[in-house]
Amino acid sequence: MDLLVWTVLPYVLSVVAAFAVGALVILALGHDPVRALESVLTTSFSTKFGIVETLHKWVPTVLCALAFTIPLATGKFNIGAEGQLLVGATAGVAVGIVWSDLPMVALLPAVLVAGVLAGVLWAGVAAFLLVRFGVNEILSTVLLNFVSFQIVDYVASHVWPDRGAGHPATIRVGDGALLPHFGAAPSVHLGVLITLVLCVVVAVAVRSTSMGFEMRAVGANLRASRVHGIRTSRMAGAGLVIGGGIAGLAGAIEVAGVHGKMLEGMSSNFLILGIIVGLLARGNNFAVLFVAFGISVLEVGASSMQRTAQVPAEVVLIIEALILIFVLLSDVLRARLRSSR
Amino acid sequence: MSAAIDFLALMIPAMVPFLLAAQGTVISGRTGVFNVSQEGLMVLGASVGFLVSFKVESNTAGLVAAAAIGGVFGLILAYMTTMLRLDQFVVGLALYFASLGLGTLLYRAVVGVTLEPPLIPTLGQYAIPGLSSIPFFGPVLFDHDLVVYFAFILSFGLYWFMYRTNAGLRFRSVGESPKSADSLGINVISTRMWAGVAGGALMAMAGAYLPMVYTGTFTEGMVGGRGWLVIALAFLGGWRPQYVVAGAAFFAGMEVLALRAQVAGIGIPHQFVLMLPYVATLVVMMFAFRWARQPKYLGLNYNRESRLSG
Repeated sequence: MDLLVWTVLPYVLSVVAAFAVGALVILALGHDPVRALESVLTTSFSTKFGIVETLHKWVPTVLCALAFTIPLATGKFNIGAEGQLLVGATAGVAVGIVWSDLPMVALLPAVLVAGVLAGVLWAGVAAFLLVRFGVNEILSTVLLNFVSFQIVDYVASHVWPDRGAGHPATIRVGDGALLPHFGAAPSVHLGVLITLVLCVVVAVAVRSTSMGFEMRAVGANLRASRVHGIRTSRMAGAGLVIGGGIAGLAGAIEVAGVHGKMLEGMSSNFLILGIIVGLLARGNNFAVLFVAFGISVLEVGASSMQRTAQVPAEVVLIIEALILIFVLLSDVLRARLRSSR
Repeated sequence: MSAAIDFLALMIPAMVPFLLAAQGTVISGRTGVFNVSQEGLMVLGASVGFLVSFKVESNTAGLVAAAAIGGVFGLILAYMTTMLRLDQFVVGLALYFASLGLGTLLYRAVVGVTLEPPLIPTLGQYAIPGLSSIPFFGPVLFDHDLVVYFAFILSFGLYWFMYRTNAGLRFRSVGESPKSADSLGINVISTRMWAGVAGGALMAMAGAYLPMVYTGTFTEGMVGGRGWLVIALAFLGGWRPQYVVAGAAFFAGMEVLALRAQVAGIGIPHQFVLMLPYVATLVVMMFAFRWARQPKYLGLNYNRESRLSG
C-alpha cells in the first residue's frame, strides 16, 4: 500500500497535470482539446495498424533509453544515442547492400552485429576521450551526433543513393537482411522480441552481475569505489560503450525491420524520447519497458492528432517535458510530506 | 588582403550568437548553475524573436521579447535547483525539451503551414563614424549591426565586472565556495537566481539574432547544434569572458570556413566540410580539458543546512 501511494501515485498525478496543461495549450491554439487528446491516447489501441506502429516506435525508444540508463548507472550522461543509432544504421545498411545476395541466416546477423559494432565504435570515441583526456562525455557524445548527421547525408546522397526517393535515402538492402515479421499484415517484426529479451538481460545484468555492481558502485559513490579498487574511469567508459552498442543495434533494427533502407530523418526524436524515458524510469531498466510503451503511445498519437485535428505534434513534446518536470517536483513534495508526517 | 577583410567581416557577426549564449552560460555557471538548455532556448529565442519582430515590425522588440522569455526559463531553472535542489542537469534537459517544443509550436501556431515563409528585414549595418574609415580595421570591426557592438561591449563589461570589481569577486565566490560566500553574508540563492535569469535571457537573445542576420525567417533546424557548441565553448574558455571571445572567434571562423568551402566547391563532399566545426571542437577539447578549469561548484546545488555541501 505504501509502495503504491508513494511510487505510483506521483506518476499518475504528474501525467494528469501535464495533460491538463497540454489541454490548455491546445485550447489556446483554438482547437478542441478533448478531441485532440482523445486521438493522442486512443490511436495506438483503436486499430491493428496503430498497435503495430506503437510497437515499432517502442523498439528504438527502449533501446535508446537503455543507451542512456546504462552509462547513467556509472553517473555518466550519454546524449549521443541518436548518433550511435545513425552510425549503427549506416553500418547495417552497408552490410545489407554490399552482401545483398547472401541468405538470411548469414546476412541478418551480420547486419545486426555491424550495427552494434558501429555503435560501440562511435561511443568508444567518447569513452576514449573521457578516459584518456578527461573530456566531458556530455559534450563529446552530443558533438558526435552532429558528425553522424553528415555521415548519413553523405552515404545517402553519394555512396548508395536512391535517385528516385525524392529526399536523401539509400537503395534497399537485400531481402536476406530484413527481419522476419509475425502474423498477417500489418505485422510486427522480430525486433520487438529482441528488444524485450535484451531489456530483461540488461536489467538482470546491471542488478546482479559483478560488473553491474561495480558500475552502480561507481555511480553511487565514486570515492568509495576507488578506495575499494574499482577502476572507476574504465567502468564509466565501459558503460558508455555498452550503451553505444545498444543504440547501434536500434539503428540496425530500424533498417532491417522498418525501412529496409536508410533515409534522412529516420532517427526522428529517438534521442529525446530515450532521455525522457530513462529519466522518468529513474534509471530502472525494468521500468524502462513500461515507460517507453507509454511514451510510444503518446508519440504515435501525436502524429495522428496532427493529421486529423491539425494540432501540431510539438504539443506532445511539451506534455512529455512537463510530465518529467512534474515527476521531479513530486520528489520535492514527497520529501516534504514525509518529513512532516 | 581583401579576401581576409571579407572573411573577418563575415566572422565577426557569426561570433555573436556564440558570444551571447556563451557569456550567458558563463554568467550562470560562475555562480554554480550549470544550464544545459542552450539548444532549446536558442530555438525558442529564434522563434519568439522572429514572431514578435514580424508582428510588431521591430527587431528590437523581437530581441527584447526573446530575452524576456529566456529569462523566465532561466529563472525556472534557478528556482528548481536553488530552492528545490533538484538535479541541475536533469532539470536543464527537461527545460531543453520544453523550450524546443514550445519554440516550434509557437511558430506553427502563429504562422501555420505556408509555401512562402513570412520575412522580417535583417538588421541594418551601423558604421561607426570615423572609426569605420580606418583601413582594414574599419570594415572588419566597425561596420556591423548594433547587436555586434552590444555583444562585444557585454563581453568586455563582464570581464571588467568579474575581475576588476569587488562585486565581481563576491559573484565568483558563489560558484567556487558557496558556504564561504554564505558565511561572508553574500546571498547565494539570490545571486544564483539573477545569474540564471541573465544567462537564460542572453541564450534566447542569441537565438533571436539568427533569423535577424541570416535568413529573415525561422526554420526548425536553424540553431543546428550551436547551443551544444556553446557549452563546449564555455568549457574551452575556462568560464572566463575574455577567453570565451577567443573561442567564439574560433567557432565562427570554422563556420564561415565551412560555408565558404561549400560554396567554392573544393572537391571534398560538402558533408565533410560541414563536420569540420564539430570535429575541430572534439580535437581542441582533448587538449583544452588539461588546463581549462571550471568553477568548483559548477552543477552542484548548495544546501545551507547540510554539512557536506559547500
